[in-house]
Amino acid sequence: MDCSYFRERINQYIDGEMGYLEVAELQAHLSFCPDCAAELAQVGEVRGALAAWGRLELAPPPGFAERVMAVVEREPVPGSRKPFGQAVDDTLQRLDDTLGRIPLPGGRTIPVKNLIGWGLAAVAVGIGLGRHRGRRSRELTPL
Amino acid sequence: MATSNPHKWASLPDPSLAELGRAGEGDAQAFKLIVERYQGMVYSVAYNVLGNHTDAEDAAQEAFLRCYRKLPQFRGEATFSTWLFRLALTASVDYKRREKRHPEPIETPEMVADAVPQLGEGIDAATIVAALHDLPEDYRVPTVLRDVYGLPYQEIAEATARPLGTVKVMVHRGRASLRLKLRAGGAGPAQGPAGAGPRSDA
Repeated sequence: MDCSYFRERINQYIDGEMGYLEVAELQAHLSFCPDCAAELAQVGEVRGALAAWGRLELAPPPGFAERVMAVVEREPVPGSRKPFGQAVDDTLQRLDDTLGRIPLPGGRTIPVKNLIGWGLAAVAVGIGLGRHRGRRSRELTPL
Repeated sequence: MATSNPHKWASLPDPSLAELGRAGEGDAQAFKLIVERYQGMVYSVAYNVLGNHTDAEDAAQEAFLRCYRKLPQFRGEATFSTWLFRLALTASVDYKRREKRHPEPIETPEMVADAVPQLGEGIDAATIVAALHDLPEDYRVPTVLRDVYGLPYQEIAEATARPLGTVKVMVHRGRASLRLKLRAGGAGPAQGPAGAGPRSDA
């Protein structure tokens, strides 16, 4: 087997997703292939650096905690909302998270759920108008 | 080194259930203590997932808002910091899915540290930030979740609403791209007013 076979498996090896025999096969190859061994070492080093980066604490911008509190203080006390209102809020939040937003010119965005809501409202108005016109035309038609 | 910059919150005990209870009952002062203690952790998660300061601040703010709303549901089954960390990750990934922002110039964030960390041989904070910034959007989030925060692939697939196999391919490609950039010095050092220096007021 050539090196490409083993290089494709280096990630599985690192993630601990290989069986015992596959590990033994890869380790045997690494013992006499300096290129593959170097690649494994480099991927390991990059992962180590990323993990170390993840342990660092970054400083938030000045005034961040105050801005958070300004938003929080406008919120109702947690759990004080009625279950129905809470359920509606949660559903709208989930819809927002699932459907996402559409970008507008100027860097602004609009929630997809709003577009769907407006579309449904337009359809409802259209149906209502259609029924109204149908009723009027029946009323005006001479028998 | 990384050990020279431990999480500020990690050295403090988790808030007691009584303190969390007061915050959950709307005591602003009690909640402010939580924000002040964990703002670095939440902001770090948001920055690493989103890759720029504007989005990171918005997402971190949303994470704290979700925390405030869900505090009455916290039962202490996990530690509070673990619970909040997951909230921050979810809020950041949701934000990424929802908002389509134009990329911003690279700017290395400031650290809550006394020393500029060295993360590996020839790899410092600015190099990592630049390399992550250059990653294609599709690779960045799964790679950060897997290799920066050590999440299992299955959990990443659920969080990003992508098939498990796709997530693995994205992480593998993300690693390959990072390896080439970091080993070849392909990622230029990040520029910005912040630099990689410590923040004196933190």
